[in-house]
Amino acid sequence: MLRDVRFRYAKDGPLVLAIDHLAIDRGERIAVVGPSGSGKTTLLRLLNGSLRVASGEAVVLGQQLLPGRRQGREQRRRVGMVYQDFALVERASVFDNVLYGRLGHAHPWLSLIGHFAAEDLARAWAAVCEVGLQDQSDQRADALSGGQRQRVAIARVLAQEPEIILADEPISNLDPALTEGILGLLVAASERRGATLITSLHQPQLARQYAERAIGISGGRVVFDRPVSQLTPQALRGIYGATLVGEAQPHMV
Amino acid sequence: MATARMEVRRRHGYGSAASFVILILLIAWAWRGTEFEPAKLTESLPRLAEFLGRMVPPDLTVAETVAVSTVETLQIAFLGTVLSAIASLFLGLLAAANLTPPWVHQPVKWLLGALRGIPVILLALIFVSTIGLGPLPGVITIAVHATGMLGKFYAEAFESARPGPLEALEGVGATWAQKIRFGALTQVAPDLARDTLFRFELNLRESLVLGLVGAGGIGFYIQLYIRAFQYDKVATLTVVVLVMVIALEQLSVWIRRRLR
Repeated sequence: MLRDVRFRYAKDGPLVLAIDHLAIDRGERIAVVGPSGSGKTTLLRLLNGSLRVASGEAVVLGQQLLPGRRQGREQRRRVGMVYQDFALVERASVFDNVLYGRLGHAHPWLSLIGHFAAEDLARAWAAVCEVGLQDQSDQRADALSGGQRQRVAIARVLAQEPEIILADEPISNLDPALTEGILGLLVAASERRGATLITSLHQPQLARQYAERAIGISGGRVVFDRPVSQLTPQALRGIYGATLVGEAQPHMV
Repeated sequence: MATARMEVRRRHGYGSAASFVILILLIAWAWRGTEFEPAKLTESLPRLAEFLGRMVPPDLTVAETVAVSTVETLQIAFLGTVLSAIASLFLGLLAAANLTPPWVHQPVKWLLGALRGIPVILLALIFVSTIGLGPLPGVITIAVHATGMLGKFYAEAFESARPGPLEALEGVGATWAQKIRFGALTQVAPDLARDTLFRFELNLRESLVLGLVGAGGIGFYIQLYIRAFQYDKVATLTVVVLVMVIALEQLSVWIRRRLR
């Protein structure tokens, strides 16, 4: 739940996000849509704690995010994030990258010498299998294709066992043919765990297909918040602006 | 448009001419300061020939002594590099602008700069007079001197780590130490290994001269034989040192090429 949240990258910089009220229930499947630079990524990074709110009230999973304060380890591990550029440790193996998803649960010191509890190893392996990469588990991440890398990133989030899964344009760096596989995987995995799924997307038709509720952001403000069935061409014009919709309509709608 | 381009070219031309004049002035300044006289060089050629002539044939009776001493030099360089790598890992992490706040990384960067600024021979003299003669002050000299450069290299390697994975690990709930261990170190490990091997090559060459001031190794025999005009022994020593330095440099280059 966000109320009167304001965010700027620099103290005197322009207001990047200004959300008066936004409430999300557990287990919801949400698509965040809006033009580039509208604040979608900023919203997701605020929710996962990599950015800190400047002012306002933000409560994530019952925990209040205090302005300017970094979130604790336990809170951070409850929110998982899939990144546009995968954010994998390229030199590490598929399995190790997935195991890194357990770092929030692992012993802070023993893990440094490579000791992980049997439960951590088992959950990481289960996540590798869930995304279908068991045969590539020993390969280095930099030897994989884009689609496989994003699967590794998803497996890392699944190993983390978060209550909220955030996905920041998870398909924008991928071949369009892989879109369904990745989004389908995210939806199935989050439903299985009863986790909230918040995905930022550029393509409204995918929002309609994979989400229940759409949040439209424009200029850092929420300008649309309804079920995806109401994401009509007219609503899109309100979010993206008339010109942009006109230009992009053929592939967007 | 065309006039603007010509104006840029004209200014650029002035810039090049000015740099050239400055370079000439600098050469003249250094030439005068060092009393650089080509005639003097030519006059010294016969003496150089005589010097070289007295080196052959090399006196191989000292080969064993020289070899033992060369191994000691190698040991000084190796241990000095290991100690320096440990210190550099710690200081390099603290000096990396992406991992620590400015009030931490800035002073550490200054400290590393200061260490680089102290000449190695001065450090050796300080440690020989405080610790005593032998290889121990040599090891400490190499360790301290090399940390100035290696710490800087390590910090730059950490700074070149991609921020995405670091943010991702922080997001999963990793502690600072876990983030460094699995995010930063895994990413830059080949760079650190390459920097360390390169520094080992430099350390090896620097530890050759440490013996001149009593800090152990082959340098002791260099000064001993030269002062006694035993150039045939110097020749043996030169060959042994050359073989060792070239062999280890080749090995280091070979390993460095294979790191990825």
